[in-house]
Amino acid sequence: MATRLSCAVSRTPALDDLLNPLDPADLPSPASVDRWEWLQRLRAGVFPLEPWLAAIEAGGVPPESDLIVVLAERLDAAATVRLLRWWLAQPLRNPTLPQGIAGQRDPVVAKALRQAILDHSDTEVQVALLPLLGHQRQSLDFDLLQRRALEPAPRQQRCAALEGLGLGLSVWPLGALRSTLIQLATDLDPGLAATAVDGLARLPDARSGLLAVRSRALESAVRERLERRLRSAPFRPLLLLVHGRAQGEIPAELRSLAAELQQRRGAPVLLRALTDPQPADLPTLEHPLGLVPLLLLPGEHVRHDLPRLRLELRPSSGLRLLPFLGSWPVWQRALASELSRLVADQPSPPSSPPLLLHHPIASPLGRRYLRLLAAITGATPQEAAYGSDQIEASLLGHQGAVLPLALAANRLTEALTPRFGEAAAPLLSRPALRQVLLELLEALP
Amino acid sequence: MSASSTPPAATPLTPLEEAKAHFCGLDLAPRLEQLGRDGWESLDEITLTVHLKWLGIFFRPVTPGRFMVRLRLPNGAIQAKQLAVLAELVDRCGEHGSADITTRQNLQLRGLLLEDMAPLMAALERLGLTSRQSGHDNPRNITGNPLAGLDPEEWLDTRPIVQAIQSALLGPGGPRNLPRKFNVAVGGAPDSFLLHNDLAFLPALRDGELGFTVLVGGFFSAQRNELAVPLGLWLRSAQVPGFTLAVLHHYSAHGNRSARNRSRLMYLVEALGLDAYRAALRATYGELDGAGPDLLDHDGSHLVNRAPRDLCGVHPQKQDGLCWVGLNVPMGRLEADSMAELARLAASYGSGDLRFSESQNVVIADVPADRAEALLAEPLLRRFPAVPGPLLAEAVSCTGNHYCGLALIPTKSTALAVVEELERRLELPEAVRTHWTGCPNACGQPYMGQIGLMGAKARKDGQMVEAARIFLGGSMENEGRLAELHHKGVPLDDLPDVLEALLIDNFGARRRSAADPLAVPS
Repeated sequence: MATRLSCAVSRTPALDDLLNPLDPADLPSPASVDRWEWLQRLRAGVFPLEPWLAAIEAGGVPPESDLIVVLAERLDAAATVRLLRWWLAQPLRNPTLPQGIAGQRDPVVAKALRQAILDHSDTEVQVALLPLLGHQRQSLDFDLLQRRALEPAPRQQRCAALEGLGLGLSVWPLGALRSTLIQLATDLDPGLAATAVDGLARLPDARSGLLAVRSRALESAVRERLERRLRSAPFRPLLLLVHGRAQGEIPAELRSLAAELQQRRGAPVLLRALTDPQPADLPTLEHPLGLVPLLLLPGEHVRHDLPRLRLELRPSSGLRLLPFLGSWPVWQRALASELSRLVADQPSPPSSPPLLLHHPIASPLGRRYLRLLAAITGATPQEAAYGSDQIEASLLGHQGAVLPLALAANRLTEALTPRFGEAAAPLLSRPALRQVLLELLEALP
Repeated sequence: MSASSTPPAATPLTPLEEAKAHFCGLDLAPRLEQLGRDGWESLDEITLTVHLKWLGIFFRPVTPGRFMVRLRLPNGAIQAKQLAVLAELVDRCGEHGSADITTRQNLQLRGLLLEDMAPLMAALERLGLTSRQSGHDNPRNITGNPLAGLDPEEWLDTRPIVQAIQSALLGPGGPRNLPRKFNVAVGGAPDSFLLHNDLAFLPALRDGELGFTVLVGGFFSAQRNELAVPLGLWLRSAQVPGFTLAVLHHYSAHGNRSARNRSRLMYLVEALGLDAYRAALRATYGELDGAGPDLLDHDGSHLVNRAPRDLCGVHPQKQDGLCWVGLNVPMGRLEADSMAELARLAASYGSGDLRFSESQNVVIADVPADRAEALLAEPLLRRFPAVPGPLLAEAVSCTGNHYCGLALIPTKSTALAVVEELERRLELPEAVRTHWTGCPNACGQPYMGQIGLMGAKARKDGQMVEAARIFLGGSMENEGRLAELHHKGVPLDDLPDVLEALLIDNFGARRRSAADPLAVPS
């Protein structure tokens, strides 16, 4: 494995050292003023490890911390395992010795630590070795550390297992680790719960994990810690997918929304139009991307284009795809409120319910969605092709309010303008709806 | 960037020098994020324990997997906004997180995980901070007058000079591979004691012009302790950064790379002789691009004439109507909540400007005089008093065996407990400086203390117990004097009694009367 190297004292081999290595029997006692210098000579020289291991095993040399610091620089995996076994066999174990000797990462050391944890159930061994096992960063040890952290056991043991999980954080399976930490974050032990919250804050897409804990019952100090972590947890960069106009032009309402959102979230907010014939490559981003389809109906784009785009983007960005905007319940309720306002603004009681004007949609799924929206909003969905003549035909005889299902100006809203003026403005030109959407997007992880 | 300043080829490289010569730790910077994601499995032990120190990242053998990051804070200056973000980073480490104010006016953060490094480094960059080259064989944090720019007594403001030195050293022409660590300091006030540095610039007059006289060779180690000696050169402020660069280039090329315990600058000065060394520096300085006028001779006299002030308390600044408020941070140990609160106080009461001192305390700058009283009433000041006891005010400590494998005792907790106990027992006419260190490496600078204490072991009642060696007589007055061994090992349990007697016999202490509310009940 790795070469071991002292960085404190250079080690030019000296013939003297080779011929007459310092003898463990001559090590001055810990109370001696000569001991430090003697140990520095040992550290600077070349010496065989075996007499020292044998002397410790035979009880001739106590493994004081200053001696262990010197020996630790020379220990290979086999020597580490040997000292570990010696420590395990002691009736009175110095709890700090393992961390002094088992800091190097090596599969052989990891195996010995794993076996010791399985073979010795006493808390003292678990507490000393579980963090060191985590430090070894062997992914196969996740199950053992997870089990020790979750099972009913003395607090120190569970804390040691959680520390082990923390020390190897990035090698564990992410989903299982996140679930474990979420579970531990609601533990009755506030110290354990607080550490789990800190662990969640370090994971990719930290906000999601933290928000998953937020709604649960938490001890007050843990909740305060959670809120502190949330305040500084990075937001995902977002990619807002919009329909767009010809040649990928993105209307001003959407560009303004993205700019304000980026400012509020302090994270990149990108825009891509489905109509763009040559979309630009995405920049390299620090955090996984959230793909938000700002699409209002489950039409062809939602059912076919989105899955294709997700496959196209996922390998490079750790993409997370959100449901299309039209399916968000808060958005649906906001549409209902907007329609209520429109109806209330009518000069006289309307003779017919308001219309939700939408582009043609043929699929059974689309039709089911429109029935749902009608039930929520109290409006009648009305298909409207985008030519002004067809729109006139769609509205024939209608005396009430209309709401075009278009976020930004398009041919539909432009065709409505001569007859309805401001009352047919696209959705993002309506302050209440824009505000709702902005807040929804801002609250995304 | 590639490794630079490869030592002369005449002597075979030690394994460590070979590792340093073939790879520069700064090259790890762009890989930090990937390393965090991949679990750092690709890093070997040398990279983990040596090269990462070029980025200020320290593997700690006592806490495997929990790392330390040492910043660089030129002149000990930090802004409230910066401290608040650092507090958040420490807070994420829960019970493992803390920060220490160091004896080089610096801050080191503890308890960090590997995965914290990339976001931490990015945060430091956003904040205008760096941890670059703060460990191992590099020029360490450059110190200056902690009251620079505030101090009615200062000869000059050291901050721009210190900042310029740092820029020169970390810039493209700076050293990347020194034989050993290197300490640089700039004095600006009558109490700027700096003789423990490899290179010290003390304010000095030459023909009536204010500049700096140069001192070289100060250092403490387990083998030897020296105070810096006058080099016989005088510089104008503008020459200081270039001259520092010249000293380091020369040291890099000629310092001892075969024996690390004989590689600090003083050994090179001694090997060459002071006159030859001075001549060599003149030549190296002259070869630098943009070197200023010739270096002038000087007799080494300077304007530093007394021991460092106790910075604690409310003191008027040179700016009318403003005060600095010095707070005692016991043993320099900060927790996340106290860091955040310090940042809040500095921003609410002052300009947000904070300073760390070599005595491991903190100064809040630019507090309007009429707001000082309100600041003194803040709850944090019960933990970090503005008027600490005479022992607590000047107690300095290394980190101790909780974080350092070399320390033989828990230095900070022992120091705090003993100092508090002594303050309950005794009244002292003036502050007494105690320096506590865990081992002979002397990071806590015991030789500079009026009383120095060093971790040791001693036998008591047939058992080996933790103990402290006692040193006496250190002085940071004009010429400086190193403390000398007084007792080779007092068990920690006995330390309060032994120190009590010492303080009564040597420092004019008196036992508190029974009526004194602080007195220890008999």
